[in-house]
Amino acid sequence: MKVDVRKVVSTEEEGAEIRAMEITEEIQEAIGLLENRRGGIPCAEGSGTVVCRTDEIYYIESVDKRTYVYTKEHCYETKFRLYELEDMLPFHYLRCSKAMIVNIRKIRSVKADLNARMTAELLNGEQIVISRSYVKDLKRKLGL
Amino acid sequence: MTKAKILFQQTVLISAAILFGIGVLKLTEKALGGDGVIVWPWYVPLSIVLTGFLCSLPTLLLLDQERPGRREFLIRLALQFLSTGGVVSLCGYLFGWYDSWRSYLPIAVMYVLIYGFVWAAMFWLNKKDEKKINEALKEIQDRE
Repeated sequence: MKVDVRKVVSTEEEGAEIRAMEITEEIQEAIGLLENRRGGIPCAEGSGTVVCRTDEIYYIESVDKRTYVYTKEHCYETKFRLYELEDMLPFHYLRCSKAMIVNIRKIRSVKADLNARMTAELLNGEQIVISRSYVKDLKRKLGL
Repeated sequence: MTKAKILFQQTVLISAAILFGIGVLKLTEKALGGDGVIVWPWYVPLSIVLTGFLCSLPTLLLLDQERPGRREFLIRLALQFLSTGGVVSLCGYLFGWYDSWRSYLPIAVMYVLIYGFVWAAMFWLNKKDEKKINEALKEIQDRE
């Protein structure tokens, strides 16, 4: 894809325009990057705040109205609700149930259950459930 | 997969399986020296599709579960089997598919076979999805 970069003099003039025939996953990623959604999720750690990088997150779970962010080795609490995080996270994140968002890139494999749900095994060996209604979204995000 | 798509798939599968079952019954009858002729009033094809649709409805008992335990799933499965059997018996009675216990017996046997066939077909379709998703996941999976 041809990329044009033009220098401007003020921040008001800064912007990006993407001309594409189709919004592919790569373009979604580029949009996320330009909108600064790749950075991370601010999480509480002790009395301070730590930014949890989105490429390190395995899944995010809501339990008793609290939201927890899980990485390979840590679990952090964040003030954001799942619906807010859905807008902040890159394209390769999937709402997999009412109470969970998963990083698709951290899924090792899925297994179909009898009632049309799927059980996903993550790269760290943990297992999560992908509800029936979200399997369609997973397939869409994988381009199937 | 949406509920509507699952109900549609099951309606088609059950209707096709009923037709197949009738075909096998008549073939058996012919092989045993009978005439093997099917004479249908106008409403029979419609009654088969209607029965297929009504039989797909108890599937909702299995779909509305976020995280079912094994015991709960088996109880719901038993309820689904019995309610679907009830639908078949009622439709059979209303549409005159049987007039005595003797003529009900092949229908009961056919019901059990069709139930097993639909489960096997749904399982196969889900396994096909599972395979496609796992292949796509390998392409984007993080290396850890």
